Amino acid sequence: MFDAIVIGSGMSGGIAAKELCERGLKVLVIERGRMIKHGEDYMDSQMPWELPNDNKIPEDELARDYAIQSQCYAVNAATKQFWVKDSEHPYTTPEGKPFAWIRGYHLGGRSIMWGRQSYRLSEMDFEANAKDGHGCDWPIRYADLAPWYDHVEKFIGVAGSKEGLPQLPDGEFIPPFELNDGEKLFKASIEAKFPGRKVIVGRNANLSVAQPHHEELGRSSCQNRSICERGCSFGANHTSLSSSLPAAERTGNLTVVTDAIVHSLVQDPATGKITAVRVIDANTMAGRTYEAKLFFLNASAIASAQILLNSRNEANPRGLCNKSDQVGRNLMDHMYALTTAGIMPQFPTDSYYHGRRPTGIYIPRFRNVTEEADGYVRGYGYQGGVMRMGGKPQATAPGLGQEIKERGRKFGPWMTFISGFGEMLPDPNNRVTQSETRKDKWGIPILHIDCGLGPNEGKMAKQVLADGKAMIEAAGGMVISQANAAGAPGLGIHEMGTARMGRDPLTSVFNGWNQAHEAANLFCTDGAAMASSGCQNPSLTYMALTARAADHAVKLMKEGKL
Amino acid sequence: MADMFDLDRRTMLGSIAALLGAASLPVDALAKPIRRGSGRAARFLAAPHYALLGAVADTIMPATDTPGALAAKVPSRIDGLLRNWASAETRSQVTGALGRIEAAAHAQKGKGFAALTPAEREGVLRPHDMAALQKVPAPPGTKSANPFAPVISVADNGYYKLKELVVHLYYFSEVASTTELNYVHVPGKFVPSIKLTPTSRPELGTGPF
Repeated sequence: MFDAIVIGSGMSGGIAAKELCERGLKVLVIERGRMIKHGEDYMDSQMPWELPNDNKIPEDELARDYAIQSQCYAVNAATKQFWVKDSEHPYTTPEGKPFAWIRGYHLGGRSIMWGRQSYRLSEMDFEANAKDGHGCDWPIRYADLAPWYDHVEKFIGVAGSKEGLPQLPDGEFIPPFELNDGEKLFKASIEAKFPGRKVIVGRNANLSVAQPHHEELGRSSCQNRSICERGCSFGANHTSLSSSLPAAERTGNLTVVTDAIVHSLVQDPATGKITAVRVIDANTMAGRTYEAKLFFLNASAIASAQILLNSRNEANPRGLCNKSDQVGRNLMDHMYALTTAGIMPQFPTDSYYHGRRPTGIYIPRFRNVTEEADGYVRGYGYQGGVMRMGGKPQATAPGLGQEIKERGRKFGPWMTFISGFGEMLPDPNNRVTQSETRKDKWGIPILHIDCGLGPNEGKMAKQVLADGKAMIEAAGGMVISQANAAGAPGLGIHEMGTARMGRDPLTSVFNGWNQAHEAANLFCTDGAAMASSGCQNPSLTYMALTARAADHAVKLMKEGKL
Repeated sequence: MADMFDLDRRTMLGSIAALLGAASLPVDALAKPIRRGSGRAARFLAAPHYALLGAVADTIMPATDTPGALAAKVPSRIDGLLRNWASAETRSQVTGALGRIEAAAHAQKGKGFAALTPAEREGVLRPHDMAALQKVPAPPGTKSANPFAPVISVADNGYYKLKELVVHLYYFSEVASTTELNYVHVPGKFVPSIKLTPTSRPELGTGPF
């Protein structure tokens, strides 16, 4: 028997393993996907012309096996191994209501390919549900999580600048990456013309300068290659493979099993405690169980809900820990792809930069903070960049030979793009349920994901685009391209909310310590636990919640309360 | 597998024939016996069509003061993509575009494109290129492959695909990334501000920034 089992080895599971192992627990991490090794399984050393098929996945294979995954910007031949085959892992959605579930099943999960943007939620995010009445009140406030944000930021390494913004609290940063000249001009224009708005460098979990505790784990400083999603052999970005699992492993307390698909949890009806995890071997289909005293559910928001739903029994016909009927409900993502791009003719033509910085610019939320919103609650931030156009010419322009080469040699104008990430409200009708009839190849009911944007999101999206245009124009730019609507939910790859935290067992699944109301030794600290989404990229919050919950769970264990 | 490959090939040849109509290029000219058992993968295109591809690539991106498409191995890389990456539809589009260039050469010069002098090739391809890349409205409901990619609709989308492959593979090559552009796989530091000089070259971008 293990002291603790962590289900999932991705962003939050890796931190759970580290924190529990470092507190002396013998920990088993169960990963449904295959084993991959840091460094040796990455394709980050190949030059662009050495990649198979010009870094493209064969078209027939892409259509057959990756119809959903291929909508993600980071899917290519060099990363193909990190994405699930949609053909092997089906789910359903209502007609005309797509949800793009972007997934990676291997040790480390999506932490290998994540976007690395790392922002804290703020007091106004934790208060939002209580103030405007959407969702249920968070059972914690910013002060509860702040020290754990500190703890996680120090460990993973977040490059960022201190800005003193109440809506985007500062953290324990390593030196920020620098803005280029175009970005500095854009920042100056926006901040002069829109008091209350800020343009800052994106805060990202790439080691601008590796610290000694990073180097102890074999990590080194970022080499500015911007191919992070291939896996980084330098260990310069935080992932489970480069960072959290090695930290867990060096304690001598970690055991990892891969190719083990969690089917369900076993609950002792007398005590309400979880006693074991049932798994199915992904390759042999054989079933087995693992027992422990403590369980951390970190399978990712939708998958964690699926495990709870599939753990239903006679006493719990709606699934485990689901007396509230909130398991699977309130699915959120961030509105994505609300992009505006413009040419900046007045920016300097003699300035350039060198290297591929692994982050861009960030415009923290200002709607419903320093400026009123146009008829909606919550808000949005922008991610983007300002860069010189030029280089490889477009083949759409007529011309041959030297004309093409001359175009390629010219440095083009500066181009700004900013893409809004908007908060989705928790809506119980945005829901994940299990099929009563269809099962996957491992005998687990497949999921039906019914999730759409509501009227609040619709109004917000309009203002995201209007503000995007206004800001580029205010900086002297000319808009050349703009989205007309948000992408399908799921494409933000920020699924959240399907087993929310709350104070009341009748309306929530996990309490203020991420501990199940109905099973004292079960904790969930992935996106499922989020009571609202904020508009900030959420991984840092999952990790902070995880570290906090692990600390609390071990204290309870030592006090004999679990 | 051999049967599947043969079927694919027949499908492709049929599609090309349909595209060309009563083409001046005999379909047999595209056929190539498949060599089996050798260590090296068989070339996808038959020799005459491969020569046509080479001539077209060399006309789009010729050697000038810097090396051209042939030095960048663009024809063999496109052949590899046709074999290993392209769907039947893409193969038809690309080979159909090549076929139309061949037909234009026959119509204007009375011989195949590959048999023309470089000046004659340019004389045939330049007006073809101009006409093929005229923008036309996209069919209703056309969607981009991803939220950030624009929808491209021109008079000859097959030609656009062919040209894009030539241009893209040229710039994403070792020779072009050391002569036309600049590519450093491991830049090390990010230098946020550099003053351009007359010898500065744009960077070959591989990521978003």
